[in-house]
Amino acid sequence: MSSTPRSGAETTASDAEAAVSDAGAATTDAGVAVAEAAAAGATAGRLTARGLTLAYEERTVVDALDLDVPDGRVTVIVGPNACGKSTTLRALGRLLKPRGGAVLLDGTELSKIPTRRIAQSIGLLPQTPVAPEAITVGDLVARGRQPHQHWWQQWSEEDERAVTDAMERTDITALGDRSVDELSGGQRQRVWIAMALAQETDLLLLDEPTTYLDIAHQVEVLDLVRRLTAPAADGTRGRTVVTVLHDLNQAARYADHLVAMKAGRIVAEGRPADIVTADLVREVFGLEAVIVPDPVTGSPLVVPGAPWQPGPAS
Amino acid sequence: MSAETAVRVRPAGYHLVRIGARGRFLLHRRAALVAAVLVALLAAVCVAYLCVGESFVAPGEVVKVVLGQPSPDELVVGTLRLPRMTVGLLVGVAFGIAGALIQTVARNPLASPDIIGISQGASALTVGAMTFGITSYTVLPYLSVIGGVAAAALVYVFAWRGGLHATRFVLIGIGFAIALRSVTTLFLTKGDYLVAQQAQIWMTGSLNGRGWSEAAPIGWTLLVLLPAVLWAARAQRTVSMDDDTATALGVRLGRVRLGLVALGVILASVATGTAGPVDFVALLAPQIARRMTRTAQIPLLCSALLGAVIVVFADLLARKLFSPTELPVGVLTAAVGAPYLIWLIIRGQGGGRGRSGGTA
Repeated sequence: MSSTPRSGAETTASDAEAAVSDAGAATTDAGVAVAEAAAAGATAGRLTARGLTLAYEERTVVDALDLDVPDGRVTVIVGPNACGKSTTLRALGRLLKPRGGAVLLDGTELSKIPTRRIAQSIGLLPQTPVAPEAITVGDLVARGRQPHQHWWQQWSEEDERAVTDAMERTDITALGDRSVDELSGGQRQRVWIAMALAQETDLLLLDEPTTYLDIAHQVEVLDLVRRLTAPAADGTRGRTVVTVLHDLNQAARYADHLVAMKAGRIVAEGRPADIVTADLVREVFGLEAVIVPDPVTGSPLVVPGAPWQPGPAS
Repeated sequence: MSAETAVRVRPAGYHLVRIGARGRFLLHRRAALVAAVLVALLAAVCVAYLCVGESFVAPGEVVKVVLGQPSPDELVVGTLRLPRMTVGLLVGVAFGIAGALIQTVARNPLASPDIIGISQGASALTVGAMTFGITSYTVLPYLSVIGGVAAAALVYVFAWRGGLHATRFVLIGIGFAIALRSVTTLFLTKGDYLVAQQAQIWMTGSLNGRGWSEAAPIGWTLLVLLPAVLWAARAQRTVSMDDDTATALGVRLGRVRLGLVALGVILASVATGTAGPVDFVALLAPQIARRMTRTAQIPLLCSALLGAVIVVFADLLARKLFSPTELPVGVLTAAVGAPYLIWLIIRGQGGGRGRSGGTA
């Protein structure tokens, strides 16, 4: 039902109105704003975080974080290890309950929306998903249709189309009958992405989707992500992607909206060209670096300082 | 059910069954085939069960008795063998389903009611009651159901820490199983010699002396829980992924898992109350069924059928092997099951890829 990006915003507009009062003026008339944003390509989005505080046991990982995810864009979260970027992504996908604050979908707190309804709007690929033993590729991708199915309707033409489409986009159509266990790391990652695509959600959260891939497959996956956010031929805006990446240069290349985190807080966010500076890299990663324009895309390219060399004996 | 039409469907190996205007059901082809084979096998084993015994009865006469037609072998087949076989069949079905559900939730082929403390809980309470002079066979089964459910509830509570952790669930279950076994041993050593002997037989799992009065409660339980079992067959699919992926797909993991475990525990406890802890059936049936169907999750129907085949066949051997001495059926299932369990462990907990239960 929510295969077209805008439907979710419209159906929950009234809920949004009820919930915005405590969320502040920023999300007033969220439903309307989202619809307009979709048309205009503006940055106000369906998914926002307000005062988000996340903790594991006693340890606070993310502290009072505010984030607006722009619709129809690629948002990339970067930061050093243990800065809370994956934790934030998990909370955006309701895998982690906030200790304080909230994640809002169309202005409604995620914790107040049935998880199945969320699954019709937000797809999420965790860092290390585990497939049932001996499952075939086609079967696994088809599981992505779960939130759209009922016990009396376990398969539909719509499911068929979505799965076929997802497998074509990730170039795994030929692998349909193979067992997931016997695939290479790159193939397996594409299968998981296909499963998330088959869910046909407007929002897609990817936690380090390039981690186990060689450079060619990394580029392939990131290009796919960009293609997903491209508007369709009829003008409907593309999907919204939020992803965590380790590689700062890839992030700068592929992000429309870059979010740099450190110690559970956002240090800077905006267009990569506007925010990636030597100062930022030093502040976030503690690394001395030179920023030059990427020779291909012109986006900022982070070149770390000279490697250690044996100096003259003193 | 109206027209059935096959349509090309993406998940390879599935057949699409259309029922009515909107009903669309996926049927795993190989699982359906295996189920059909198992039904035939079960029928054959059942007929053999009714034929063989102290006196041999021709299959033709057996079928007559089962169909309610007059036969000279009415007494031997209809009164002695058929009720006991029915109990065995139902116990096998219940263990087969219970094992499948518990293994699915624990994501571990070693997790079955006789490993994670359910059978031991049932034993402890039953044997305890026996030593305190309660020997009525109308009361004991209920006590063993209570014991099994209580033990499972304790394991579940202790394994819970902001969510159910699959590996912890199994390990705590094993711990409880050991503790409860000690309690049972304590009762056995403290209790009267004759009571201890009787308890020992019950604890091995035996169908001796079971008849229609034992078949009725477990039969009704299975019938009443049938809708829940149908739900479970579908819900099982959703919990076979890792927790994050399942949640992302909109599964209410906590509830679904609790529902599956509760159903499995009730069935295992009722089966244990009926025939005692018939070891390894709940462990074997799901694993063998899955290897036969090659499905991504344990096939519930095939597991139930296989459980029935195992128990009925084992009881057939138990009656006949050392005739006229009769063995408890649990001795035979253990003789087959124990080596299989060891093999499973050596192979690295199924799949052979060293992928253990994982986190929950």
